[in-house]
Amino acid sequence: MWPIIKITYREMISKRIFTITVLMSLAFLLLFGVATWFAAREVSDKLGAASADVMMMKGFFSTQLLGMGLYFGSIITALLAILSSVGSIASEIESHQIDTWLARAMTRRQYMLGKFLGLASMLILYAVLLYLGLIAINQWVGGGEMAVRISASQVMAGLGYFILLPVILVCVSLLMSSMTTTVTGGIVLIILYGISFIGGFVEQLGSLINQESLIQIGIVSSLIFPTDSLFRLSTLSLFEAVDNPLSFASQGIFGTASAPSPAMLAYTLLYGVVALFFAIRIFQKRDV
Amino acid sequence: MSDNVIETMCLSKQYDGKGGCKQITLQVPRGSVFGFLGQNGAGKSTFVRTMLGLLHPTEGSATMLGHPIGSVESRRKVGYLPELFRYPDWLTGRQLLKHHGEICGLSKRERDRVIGEVVEIVGLGGRVDERIRGYSKGMQQRIGLACALLSDPELIFLDEPTSALDPIGRKEVRELIARLRDQGKTVFLNSHLLSEMESVCDYVGIIHRSELVTSGEWRKLSTVKPQVEITMEQTSTDWHVHLPFVKDTRLLKEWDGQSIWLVTLDQEGRVPALLHELMAGGAAVHEVIRKQQSLEEVFLYWVQQKERETHVANH
Repeated sequence: MWPIIKITYREMISKRIFTITVLMSLAFLLLFGVATWFAAREVSDKLGAASADVMMMKGFFSTQLLGMGLYFGSIITALLAILSSVGSIASEIESHQIDTWLARAMTRRQYMLGKFLGLASMLILYAVLLYLGLIAINQWVGGGEMAVRISASQVMAGLGYFILLPVILVCVSLLMSSMTTTVTGGIVLIILYGISFIGGFVEQLGSLINQESLIQIGIVSSLIFPTDSLFRLSTLSLFEAVDNPLSFASQGIFGTASAPSPAMLAYTLLYGVVALFFAIRIFQKRDV
Repeated sequence: MSDNVIETMCLSKQYDGKGGCKQITLQVPRGSVFGFLGQNGAGKSTFVRTMLGLLHPTEGSATMLGHPIGSVESRRKVGYLPELFRYPDWLTGRQLLKHHGEICGLSKRERDRVIGEVVEIVGLGGRVDERIRGYSKGMQQRIGLACALLSDPELIFLDEPTSALDPIGRKEVRELIARLRDQGKTVFLNSHLLSEMESVCDYVGIIHRSELVTSGEWRKLSTVKPQVEITMEQTSTDWHVHLPFVKDTRLLKEWDGQSIWLVTLDQEGRVPALLHELMAGGAAVHEVIRKQQSLEEVFLYWVQQKERETHVANH
């Protein structure tokens, strides 16, 4: 399995999409840093003295800004996960590159798991760097005005959920890759991710205006593709508990007004495991 | 250990009951070069890909090196050069070989040694550190050949191994195949280039429209149509009409009262009887040459016979 993991690393690094994504991520971090710096200066200039209202407002702004950065970070991570893994099996089958690998003394399960571990670990590394980069910018560039008050354990808990997103996406991408062509798989996954993305917003909106039907739509979309719940859990962990009335975790469009339940987390994890299981089964049974 | 490295029993791989290969039963002896002949689309590559576990058989069974096909064990000492040789073009030739060496379980030291050897064998010495995307088709086929030889395999599948090579490259591959046989390795050669196969194959199998038409020792199969070339003085052109064992004749050349005839007999061992009848008829026979069929003739003979059988069965 290790040789396949190594080939997967090499392939990801060699592919233009990874290089471009890394460069664009650096540009995004730079932009986020500039935005944070200006926001900190503006808040300091305009809001002035530290009254309770001002503190509340600063807290809201800072969490929204960081939430926005993290949300965009999760989108980049998700797209990178989808685009780098949806073709990992399918394109090799289409081009017959896979033939000489599979003609070796290696099971298809080993090949698939090698691909999974290679892709997942690489994407986890990317997600960790991006997440910690955003937090670091918020903490250091934001200074006393825009830095969200968070503990190391909150960061780690938020990061834990954040890195689960690419892992789940790799599992589902590999399932699509073992079933269908690269293009078809890519389209299906992006639509599913879009459903989850929109469903997440609809659910948060429903929760804010107490509309049960909107919340139900969000829950159904999360059941179809549960990636948004991971982002919500991540922000929830980072920005305090949801049941705290003063918590900024529940506020704004990037907050988590409707918190995913532990059952949803279990469902999400199971979703990934089942997807990987079927990816292996289908790959074992199909002709290449 | 069995003397056959490949044994198949009614092995089929069909798509909705059509195409592919159907009911293939054959044996490939250890240490031989087996040529699998057939037209484009006859099912040669499907058979090889089924043996290697890339395709799942729809019927029948097979073993490779004593293990059922599809198992990891069956592929442990096998090398494969696919017909559609495509390799990750973002790797260099050496990186590709290193990765294959790792999968084969070669140690770093062993890998470096073997890579050095195989790149020299396939003639890629100076270009192995370049990226594959810069390789010509011929070079890609050479790196594929190097991959196939990397694990010191006992059985090597070469699917159209010279399709992208120039005449010198083709000759080198033929020599390589002969060397591999001398080392006791078995080569399963898929090709429709009959003239190339003729010089290297010990055994052949002929596949036509998905079905195995015949298989066996190539020299024995080449006697399917016993023929002799006779140079004689004979004025009459109907000298053969009273000879029941002469199936066909063709006048090849005529000069100064002598003529060369290509005579097809009904079975082996009729040459003495033919000569006896000619002498008795007063013909002066100058030369008799036993005609060795070319692989192309053998191939066409079996394919046409199969076509006739199919035609009769359908009407």
